[in-house]
Amino acid sequence: MPKILFIEHNGKEHLVDAEDGKSVMQTAVENMVPGIVGDCGGACSCATCHGYVDPAWQDKIPPKGETEEMMLDGAMNVEPNSRLTCQILMKAELDGLVVRLPASQF
Amino acid sequence: MSAAISWDPYNADLAKDPYPTYKRLREESPLYYNAEHDFYAISRFADVESTLRDKDLFSSAHGDILEFIKARSVMPDSVFIHQDPPKHTAYRALMQRIITPKRMHAVEQDIRKLCARSLDPLIGGDRLDFIANLGAEMPMRAVSMLLGIPEKDQEAIRQSVDDRIRTEAGKPIDIAAQQQLQQEALSGFDEYIAWREKNPSDDMMTELLQSEFKDPQGVTRKLTREEISNIVNVVAGAGNETTNRLIGWMGKTLSQHPDQRREVARNLALVPQTVEEVLRFEPPGPFVAREVMRDIELHGRKVPKGAVMLMLVAAANRDESRFVNGDSFNIHREARPHMTFGQGIHVCIGAPLARLEGRVALEEILKRFPDWEVDLDNAVLSSTSTVRGWDSLPAWIGSRPKNATVSIPKPAAAEAAPAPAAASGEVTLEGTWNVVVKGPTGPQPATLVLEKSGDTYTGSQSGQGSTTPIADFKLTGNKVYWVNHVTKPMKIKVEFTGELNGNVLSGKAKAGFMGSYPFTATKA
Ligand code: HEM
Ligand code: FES
Repeated sequence: MPKILFIEHNGKEHLVDAEDGKSVMQTAVENMVPGIVGDCGGACSCATCHGYVDPAWQDKIPPKGETEEMMLDGAMNVEPNSRLTCQILMKAELDGLVVRLPASQF
Repeated sequence: MSAAISWDPYNADLAKDPYPTYKRLREESPLYYNAEHDFYAISRFADVESTLRDKDLFSSAHGDILEFIKARSVMPDSVFIHQDPPKHTAYRALMQRIITPKRMHAVEQDIRKLCARSLDPLIGGDRLDFIANLGAEMPMRAVSMLLGIPEKDQEAIRQSVDDRIRTEAGKPIDIAAQQQLQQEALSGFDEYIAWREKNPSDDMMTELLQSEFKDPQGVTRKLTREEISNIVNVVAGAGNETTNRLIGWMGKTLSQHPDQRREVARNLALVPQTVEEVLRFEPPGPFVAREVMRDIELHGRKVPKGAVMLMLVAAANRDESRFVNGDSFNIHREARPHMTFGQGIHVCIGAPLARLEGRVALEEILKRFPDWEVDLDNAVLSSTSTVRGWDSLPAWIGSRPKNATVSIPKPAAAEAAPAPAAASGEVTLEGTWNVVVKGPTGPQPATLVLEKSGDTYTGSQSGQGSTTPIADFKLTGNKVYWVNHVTKPMKIKVEFTGELNGNVLSGKAKAGFMGSYPFTATKA
């Protein structure tokens, strides 16, 4: 099982197992990682699953879709490595993915 | 021994504490059928979550309210809460570009000022009404700030919207009456939109007028006026009453959990998680509805195509299989998302604003009044097909004993005028009058200053922070008439027609396209 390392804004780390095919958001929520809300459940409609993907992983994850781009445009505290984590599906190659979380999702 | 469970959304007695019934539904009847009103209901978290995510099987094409679906209501495409993809997608995508978290957060300071303006006059007093003093006004103004609606028109707009979604206790929504009100509300917005078109600003309305989008037919174009009216109606309708209810539930819940309240008052950093827990514990919108699009089977029971399914958000939020001790209020509980803002493609677009309003309101309340106790004997709870919460929620904030007779302070002390005194000789019109224009939910205070020279009266009128001269003042017998041309921030003519009885002036104030409201005025 691939693993994801979530790092809360205060530095607290959560290393969790991720099921293949599940989104990073879903994985966080199911493992009760604080700091990811995921209000819309992955419909790319709420921007409360915002995370910063470690630059080392930038090339391995699929690029942002049009809707994600648009949602991030209106979100708070967006950085070049900002992603909506419901749009990243886990797979073996992403084992060890590092996602930092913003100070707040809303 | 367990009697058959009955859950009736129109039963006002049940609405007082629906949670024991919700618990039984989750445990004994996870797919509930109500024969009287012919709907199905689901109450477990996992079921509510998965149905709300399944937009193909559970449709919003006839709306998300029980009565609307049963009436097979049809709305224009732009009423996007009432649509399925691709119609929903076209307008939702546009709205997501416009109602962004950034834009919502930009009004934080204004919301804070508004709270201060509402709460400061209550300092030193004994009573606070969470609804009359804050909830009835602030959310409406917050949505209006987002839209750029001039402050003085905001109350009338909220009223028309609230009337539209209110049901009488124990009765289904009257759809014909709704449509009538909708028509009236829409004609009001039209004039405002026309005005904003000529006076662009950096608000949401201007952007609605200028943005291009791809319509459901695939044509790239701007929104029509009518579409903008509809969208504004959806946003205002979804954002006012719900957030008003949130403020009431914060007042009620934190009154009944004084230890947790004191802890938050000492440490305001706990406010966001407190708001979140109130949202879970007492969701302002306790259920949403969908139409079932295929015959299905759920929990061993068939649900036919065309049936109405109610998703009991308020029941899901307390599901013990998701939230430990779901029926207890605990601001330190596990941080797991609740269902209060819905789920899936229709998830509340205004959630960032609702959370912001909840946070700012609670911070500003706690800073001034760290202790309160709600007066439930004098509170009024209402429950409709869309929202459940307090119409009135007075609380003691001072040291006065609870059984003392006190009058609840209304915003700007604008109570109904005293009964007219018997004609006590000549009343001089000149001088200062306290004018109160009364919408059904709350008074709008203003001050009228009249001067007399010869036989003509002139003067000025102040309200909502601006002063303008009055015109055409006429006194015929005991009948009076005057006009107040308000210019800021939009031009509107307000005509006052009334009668002088003793020392009280009363009658109607016609505020242009916003409608007529009763007013009373007494000598200051
Ligand atoms: C505590 C306050 C609020 C609650 C509990 C709430 C709840 C909800 C829920 C449950 C839905 C989904 C309805 C469905 O699935 O059929 C919804 C949709 C919506 N809400 Fe809110 N809401 C709140 C505040 C607001 C505010 C402040 C705004 C506006 C700024 C707003 C605008 C909307 C809109 C436009 C929709 C329709 C979205 C769509 O159909 O795509 N809401 N809200
Ligand atoms: S969960 Fe809503 S956008 Fe990702």
